Parts: sequence; C-alpha cells; structure tokens
Amino acid sequence: MVSIKLDNVGLVYKLHEKLTLSAPDRRVGRPGGRIEGSGRKQFVQALDGVSFELKAGDRLGLVGPNGAGKTTLLKVLYGIYEPSAGNVAIEGKVDALFNINIGFRREATGRRNIVLRGLISGWTEAEIEEKMEDIIAFSELGDFIDLPFKAYSQGMAARLAFSAATALDPEILLMDEWIGAGDASFQEKAKRRMDELAERAGIIVLASHSEGLIQSVCTKRLTLRSGRVESLTMEPAKRAGTVARP
Amino acid sequence: MIAVFNGAVDDISKAMRLHRVWIALAHEDIGDQHRRTTLGPLWLLVNYVAFVGTFVFVFQPAGKDAAGYAAYVAIGLLVWFYLMEVMSLSVSLFQREESFIEGTTLPLFVYVMRLALQSSIRAGYAIAGCVAILLLSGPSIASPWLWSVAGLLLILLVTPAMITVFAFLGAFFPDSQFIVGNLLRVGMFFTPVFWVYNGQEGVQKYAYHWNPFTYFLEIVRLPIMKGEFPAHAFTVTIVMSLATWMIALLLLGRYRRQIIFII
Ligand SMILES: Nc1ncnc2c1ncn2[C@@H]1O[C@H](COP(=O)(O)OP(=O)(O)OP(=O)(O)O)[C@@H](O)[C@H]1O
Ligand SMILES: [Mg+2]
Repeated sequence: MVSIKLDNVGLVYKLHEKLTLSAPDRRVGRPGGRIEGSGRKQFVQALDGVSFELKAGDRLGLVGPNGAGKTTLLKVLYGIYEPSAGNVAIEGKVDALFNINIGFRREATGRRNIVLRGLISGWTEAEIEEKMEDIIAFSELGDFIDLPFKAYSQGMAARLAFSAATALDPEILLMDEWIGAGDASFQEKAKRRMDELAERAGIIVLASHSEGLIQSVCTKRLTLRSGRVESLTMEPAKRAGTVARP
Repeated sequence: MIAVFNGAVDDISKAMRLHRVWIALAHEDIGDQHRRTTLGPLWLLVNYVAFVGTFVFVFQPAGKDAAGYAAYVAIGLLVWFYLMEVMSLSVSLFQREESFIEGTTLPLFVYVMRLALQSSIRAGYAIAGCVAILLLSGPSIASPWLWSVAGLLLILLVTPAMITVFAFLGAFFPDSQFIVGNLLRVGMFFTPVFWVYNGQEGVQKYAYHWNPFTYFLEIVRLPIMKGEFPAHAFTVTIVMSLATWMIALLLLGRYRRQIIFII
C-alpha cells in the first residue's frame, strides 16, 4: 500500500561544516528561514517537528512563503536528505521533479536525457525504448527532442521532465514549483495525468506558490511557516470539511 | 563499526545494480570532451605519444642505457598520467556532480564508478600507444609481461577506493583541491617516472623508496624492463591497496549521508 508517514521530522542545515584554511568566518547565512547559532556553528532550522500522514490517492499541496521549507521537505520525502530528527516512513516507488538544473545533463539531447532518467530509476534500455515514443508524444517537443537539453526553454524542459517522470510509473510523485513553467494547455494535460496517477492509488505532493495550480490539482493543503506545519486542511474545492493539524 | 561497514557495502551494491547508469554517464563524458574535435578521443593517444616522445628526446641517456629508455618512459608516463588524472579529478568529484547529487538518490559510489570507468577508457588509448612503443623500441615479448598486466589490473582494482578517499577529502576540505593539484605537479619529479634509479645516494634514493607511487609504477614496469616478478613492489602495492579500500569503506559508510549538506 502506498503511503507516507512523517513523525516529528526536523532538518538542520549546518552552515560551516567544511574545514578551511581561511579565517573563521565572513560567509553569511541565507535569508528566509531561521538562522541560529553564531560563528562556526551557524545553522538553519529548515524543518521542525513536521508530522503528517498521506495515503493512497492523496494529492497534497505544499504552500508557504519563500524559505518556509517546502523544497527541503520534498527532498526529505525523496530521500536526498536524511532528517536530523524524527522518522520518515515511505511505501511506494518515488520520483521527483525539482528545478531544471537538477538531475539533467545539459549537453545531452532530450532523448538521451530520457534514457538517463530511466536508467536512474532502475529501468533497462529496452524498457525505456518501449516508452520513448509515448514520452516524446506527451511532451509535444517534436523535433526538439534531438536538440541538447540546454537549448530548451524552461517550459520545454518542464514538459520533458514531467513526461519522462510520469511515464516511468512512479507511485509517489514529488514536484517543486517549476512545473508551473508549462503553458496552459500543458498544465491541463499534466493535471489529467496527475489525476490518473492519484486514481491508480498513487500520491502526489506538489509545492507551489500558484493558488490556481494547488486548487485544481490538490485534495489537501499543508501550510508551512519557518519550517513548522501551520495547518493541514482538506482543499474546499474538492471536499468539504477541515482536518485538524495532527 | 559493523553498521558503518554495512552502509558502505549497501551503497556499493546499489551502485553495482545501477551499473547501466554509470556506464552511460561515463560514455557521455568521453563523448562530451571530444564532441566537436576531428580526432575525437584519438587526441588522448596523440597527447600521450607526444609526451613520451618529448621525454625520450630530452632525457635519453647516452650509451648502452639508451635502448630501454623509451620503454621505461612509456610505461612510467602511462601509469603516472593515469594516477594523476584519477586523483586530480577525484578531489572535485562531488562538487562536479552536485546537480545529480541534489536531484537524485543515486548512491555516491555511482559517481565513483563513473569516474573510474571514464579514466580507464581514457587510459585505454594511452595503453594502445604504450604497446606500440614497446613493440617498436626493443624488448621482445616474454611471459613476465603477464605480471605487468596483473599490475595494471591491480591498479584498476584500487582506483575506485582512491577516488572515494580523494573525493571525500575534497568535499570536507576544499583547500585540498589546490594542495593535491600542486603536489601532483611537483610529484612527477619525485617519482621515478622519467629518471632511473640505480642505487645512487641522495634525494632520489628517498624519492624512490618512500614514494608510494614508485610501487604502482614498478609493478607494471619491472616485469617488462627486467623480465622478473617484482615481489617486493607487488607486496607493497597490495598492502597499500587494502589500506586504501579500508579507508574508502569507512568514509563511505560513515559520511555518505553528509555529502549532500556540504557540497
Ligand atoms: N543548501 C542549503 N544550505 C543552507 N540552508 C538552506 C539550504 N537550502 C535551503 N536552506 C534554508 O532552508 C530554509 C528552507 O528552504 P527551502 O528551500 O526549503 O524553502 P522553500 O519553502 O522551498 O522556499 P521557496 O518558496 O523560495 O522555494 C530556508 O531558510 C533556506 O535558507
Ligand atoms: Mg523551494
């Protein structure tokens, strides 16, 4: 059964882990979150006591101001960051779409990037080849598929990434803001595909500042503020009623 | 300790299951470097042969020592360039892979193997050049040459461990990228790559016996130059290789989850 369960998850970015020969230290912390400590021991508490549970079919929208911890939470869910505190239990095959510069090879063609992406997800060349035409068709990139990835516009890159990731049958799909780079017609298509995924008993977690996108895709909404869960509610457009924060 | 070790083994076995990924990426790397050049990766061969040629031209001793010198330098440079390339690329490995490390959950050993494979493909071109020089320059093929092949294999086996150690060093201690770069540049003169040690006293004596690279060179070179099995050099190299693997496993097991936070 596909599910996500977070229990009191915390994540701390330490800012001065590296050893260096330079004098300690003039590098400054980034704005937006909670910078604590001083000197060599500065750290950012990006997530703090985050608990929630998602089950098959849930579509969660992550909202909150810049620096609230949305991207960090997605990366914890994906397994890139090991949480500094608490427990993460995830059942299901996870795929994630972060920003465009992440996880793609800029010099390689779109087609080659699809292959690489598939290999990374543990597919064989033959299995990827089988899905290749579907992926290209869904992305509507046409002849651009054989140009290097670096020649793509943001929206084109988003199309490629989304098409590839969803064609590889993830059970849990994590998406950061940039999927919004696609144009209206593609967002409509993408939304349908996400609906299918959720209906096949998958889970979607989408971080976005776009109210429209969240409302049209999501059934639940998690508001983060300074790394803490402010509220977890049902999306009124989809279902009535509010769940209390866990 | 056991947990650390298990962590490392887990990372490595996951990476081995994903061998298709690093094989594909390593080929991309080679392709990228030579994409718009006419000779493509053959430039690697040209570079190597030009280097050997220059050294032979400038340093070839007069008289009866002259004969084997081309072979001596050819093998020396083959191994030295390989080790130097591996080490200097390793210290910045995790920084260069930042985009994949931040966007995927690939085990770190995938990046290690990607570099290991890439370096050995590149070395393959130099090996072709080296074999050609050996065949042209004198010593006739004999069975001890097989020990040289064994020596090369040993170097290949220790490569992933070396990459791991230097990659963690470079990630946790960024200054080391420059330190290692400089040491390697100087190191060539303190390693019997192009000078021959004949038991003389002085700096060369210490540089010969106390330099770990000497032994990596000698396990490949002595069987061909002297036609014998260099037991001492092999022993030292095997011990060093095991130690390197131990350190690599410890680092990988203990710190692999920290890398993402510090690159
Ligand atoms: N690599 C990092 N090193 C140190 N601090 C970081 C790092 N990445 C994020 N942070 C900090 O963690 C906090 C949460 O960042 P995060 O990127 O998760 O925010 P976000 O909600 O995605 O913001 P945005 O809406 O701008 O995308 C911020 O305070 C940020 O400064
Ligand atoms: Mg973000």
